[in-house]
Amino acid sequence: MAKISSSAVNRITASLATLGCLFLGATSAQANNSCSAMDAQVRQLLAAMSGNTRHINYHGVVTLQRGGDMQIMELSHEVVDGKATEELSRLTGQDAKVERSGHSTGCMHPGHQLLQSVELVGEGFCGLAASYRFRLGPGERIAGREAVRLRVEPLDMYRFGYVFELDRDTALMLKSTTLASDQRVMEQFQFASLEMESGRPREASTEHAASHPHPHETAHLRTGPAWRISWLPAGFMPTDTAPIEAQRKTYTDGLASFSVFLEPLATAIKPGEGVEREGSTVAYTRGVVLNRRPVLVTVLGEIPTNTARMVADSVRLQ
Amino acid sequence: MADLKAVRTTGASATVQAGTAETLSALMDGEARDLELRRVLRALDEEPTDRLVGDSVRATWHRLHVARGALHREEAFAQVSLLSGVRAAIDKDPVMAASSRGGWLRAVGSFAVAASVAAVVLVGGQQLAQTAGSDAASIARVAPMPVGVVNTVGAVPVQASYGTRDIPMLEPADRTAYRELARQRLRRYSQEHASHASLNTPQGMVPFARVPVIEQ
Repeated sequence: MAKISSSAVNRITASLATLGCLFLGATSAQANNSCSAMDAQVRQLLAAMSGNTRHINYHGVVTLQRGGDMQIMELSHEVVDGKATEELSRLTGQDAKVERSGHSTGCMHPGHQLLQSVELVGEGFCGLAASYRFRLGPGERIAGREAVRLRVEPLDMYRFGYVFELDRDTALMLKSTTLASDQRVMEQFQFASLEMESGRPREASTEHAASHPHPHETAHLRTGPAWRISWLPAGFMPTDTAPIEAQRKTYTDGLASFSVFLEPLATAIKPGEGVEREGSTVAYTRGVVLNRRPVLVTVLGEIPTNTARMVADSVRLQ
Repeated sequence: MADLKAVRTTGASATVQAGTAETLSALMDGEARDLELRRVLRALDEEPTDRLVGDSVRATWHRLHVARGALHREEAFAQVSLLSGVRAAIDKDPVMAASSRGGWLRAVGSFAVAASVAAVVLVGGQQLAQTAGSDAASIARVAPMPVGVVNTVGAVPVQASYGTRDIPMLEPADRTAYRELARQRLRRYSQEHASHASLNTPQGMVPFARVPVIEQ
C-alpha cells in the first residue's frame, strides 16, 4: 500500500472548542405507537457506555479484524476541563493518526442521544428498542478487565447484529463483534491492552484533525442540486443538519451509520449498480437518471448491502 | 493480458519514464492507484501543453490507446485526449478550480477527486458512456427486477416493499466498470463518512480505522 508523503506535514490544529453542538431537528422516523419497553438494566448500560466518554481517561492498543485483514492501533481518550481529546494512531499499515480535540463533553450527537434514550423516546419514536433486542450475560476477560456481554440482535433485516463486551466498572466497550444475518463475523475489534489513565499515542507522518459539523455554518455544503431520500430504515435519523443541497447526508440508528452521497454527472452513463464491501463497510454505487439529470448515488456505511441498495433507490431530486 | 503486457513494453518510449508509461497503461485498465495517477498528472503538468509528439506523456498515452483500441477492436481515441477530459472535469469543479490557484495537485485530497473523475472518464467513459444510438441496445438489456432482491454478504434476499425502479442487467464489462466506481467511492468517501460515524456510533474513533488511506 502506497504511503502518504511524509514531507512537510503540518499539523492542522482545528480548534473545535468554539464549535456549537448539534441539536436535533424533527426526526424522520416512522411513527410507532407500540414501543416495547427496554430492560432497565440494559438501558442503564447503554447510557453508561455512551456517557463514559464524558469523564473517563484511557489509552490502549486495539485490534480490528475485517475479513482476512487485521489492523493494530493505539487509542486514547482524555477529558480535561470538560473537553475531550481522542486519538487513533495506526501501528500497522499506513503511518497515520487521527485526532479530535476540544470536543465539549456537553455535546451529544444524535447517535449518542439514541443510546441514552433521552428526549427521543416518546412521540411515536421508540429508539433502539424498536430496532434491536438486547440480552445481557456474563462476559469475557479482555485486556485484563472483566466484562459483561450485551448481545444485540436486529429486529429487521436492515441492520447488522452485535456482541458487545463492556467493562464492568466503566461500561467502556472492550470488544465488539459485528454479525451478519447468517451470524458471519463482519468485523471485530477489541482492546489488547488498556490503561485507565491518560496517555497519548506517538506522532505520525500523516495527521488528520477530525472535523465536527457546525450547525450554523452550512452554506459551504450547498454544492449541488436539492435532493432527499424518500425511504429510511426505521430507527435511523440524520446525524446533522446538513442542507438539502449538501452532497452528503449521514444517518444513524445509534449503533450503525451510513452516508449517502450524490454526484451530478456531466454526461449520462449506462444505468447500473456496483458494490464493494470491506468487512462491515459497504459502498453501493448506482448510476441513475433523476429528473432527466444523470447522477451517481453512493451509499457507504456499516449496513447490509440490501439496505444500501434500497436507500440508493429512494433518492429523489427536489 | 499477455498482449497488454506487450503493449506496455513497446508502447513506452525510452524518454518517458518507464513508470509513467506503466501507469498510463494501468490507468486504461482501471488498475492505477491514486498515487500513481497523481504522478502521471504531475508529469503532465510539467509538460508543455502543445506537445503531442514523440516522447511526451501525451503521445505515449495516445499510442497506448491506439494499440489497445486495436487489441479490443475499439475505435481508437486518436484525437481525443482522455487526460484532457479529466482536467476539463476538474476545471469545471468549483472546489478544484479554486484550489488550482495554488497548484491543484498540492491541494489536500485533490488527487482523490482526480482519481474518481478519472474513474468516470476512463472506466466510465469507455465502458459506460451512453453513446448516441446505444439507448435501444441498453434498454434491451434492462430486465425488470424488483429492487431489494440481492444475494450478497450480509443481505437477506427479500422482496422489498420500497423501490420500484428496474435494476439493469449489466454486461460483464459494465459490471466491472461499476464495481470499479464503487471501489473508488469507498476510497473517496470513507473518511468523510468516518468523521460522522465516529460522533454517532459507540466505537468512538474506531470508524477511522476503516478508512483505507487516511488523508490530512
